[in-house]
Amino acid sequence: MAKNGTNSEAYTTPLRRLLLAVVVLCLLGLFFVWRIDSPRVERFRAVVIDTVIPSFDWAMAPVTATVNLARDFRSYQRIYEQNQELRRELRQMTAWKEAALQLEQENAKLRDLNNVRLDPRLTYITGVVLADSGSPFRQSVLINVGSRDGIVDGWATMDGTGLVGRISGVGANTSRVIMLTDATSRIPATIQPSGQRALIVGDNTSAPPIDFLEDPDQVRPGDRIVTSGDGEVFPPGLLIGQVAQDPGGRLRTRLAADYERLEFLRVLRDHGARRVSNPSALILPETPPAATDTAVAEPAD
Amino acid sequence: MDIGLLKLWGMRLLFILTAFVVLFFHLLPLNPAPSHWAGPDVLVAMVFAWAVRRPDYVPVLLVAAVMLLADMLLQRPPGLWSVLVVCATEWLKSRERRQRETTFVLEWLTFAGTFIVITILYRAVMMILILVPGTLTLSLVQVVLTIAVYPIVVVVSYFLFGVRRSAPGDMDRLGRTQ
Repeated sequence: MAKNGTNSEAYTTPLRRLLLAVVVLCLLGLFFVWRIDSPRVERFRAVVIDTVIPSFDWAMAPVTATVNLARDFRSYQRIYEQNQELRRELRQMTAWKEAALQLEQENAKLRDLNNVRLDPRLTYITGVVLADSGSPFRQSVLINVGSRDGIVDGWATMDGTGLVGRISGVGANTSRVIMLTDATSRIPATIQPSGQRALIVGDNTSAPPIDFLEDPDQVRPGDRIVTSGDGEVFPPGLLIGQVAQDPGGRLRTRLAADYERLEFLRVLRDHGARRVSNPSALILPETPPAATDTAVAEPAD
Repeated sequence: MDIGLLKLWGMRLLFILTAFVVLFFHLLPLNPAPSHWAGPDVLVAMVFAWAVRRPDYVPVLLVAAVMLLADMLLQRPPGLWSVLVVCATEWLKSRERRQRETTFVLEWLTFAGTFIVITILYRAVMMILILVPGTLTLSLVQVVLTIAVYPIVVVVSYFLFGVRRSAPGDMDRLGRTQ
């Protein structure tokens, strides 16, 4: 028995090494393929997630609900204070509501005079948040609508009030939303009322900094930030948040969307959005051959 | 012999199930806002703790498959972290065969050293290939917490799952004494 064992070990060790080498090469190969041609591998990842996560869903929903219930229970302890606070806020809100109603009527009159039609293409699909990104280094959520529901890569996603992120990675039943706070997120924005253009650059904190601002002097804390529609990334005019200043004097975004509690997300249908299907499409124009053809043809004429 | 084989595959199945439970808790959408600290990498702690005790419970292919799935689900670059974990696991296994008399403190130090090295390699490769490796503080917090959580993982594997070093008389499926 023991002799038999040492024999088989003599055979298995080189085999094991071979297996290890093959496994390591495969994994490294996958990593480099991902680095070179990431859309294809990311599509594969979307398929994997699409098959695995929905099977977790039956357990995820009750566990999440239980933890949230426990959290809410803790907040009951100061329910009286909260009640007072809410009453105060409600009084302020009624004043605002009155103002808003008057403005709405005025707005309607002006629209009527101008004959403005709101863009009817901008409708939305609502999805439920299924899962987190699972890693503190990435900021994204998975929602339960996918290509089956007509979701396309690149569409904007909002909660009730503000922009949350961008669809990136669509499976049949799920799709991933890369949030504005993710370190890879760059969103062109306009700051109202000065009309300054800037980029909202995610850096893995809850208040993404404002970068590439033309003239910081014209921007004050409290100004509204909306999407600018530059580069056909998002439809223009979606609310992102407000300008805030951190103790270091850097301008940051206080996001309008409530990131603490994302439960339902709206995906805005945007048929004018630019689609990125191959890796070079981000840098190169979609139809370079036509342009070069005319350039070549002209000297020949 | 048959019972041993059954137990071996049972433990491998248990490993897969535990990995799924760990991933499940990673993915719970409790607070999507960015946090200032990173949780421990329990999965890697478990792989290493099992590999040191019973290498036959965590064969190369199983570790590679589970880690690759984790890479896919947790939005990491696919393959990089898994290749580092696979190499580290195999190194720990070979080291374990050479010296059998180890104290827990030594094992813990080895684990800490290995985890720090693979984290540094991971960040270095990501920086060389112009990927965003995330903030250094988050990585540091994750390393410290993972090292801190290792004894707990070992205790749970030992008492709950019965993953313990085989006694000198014990033989595994291939007749080797571990």
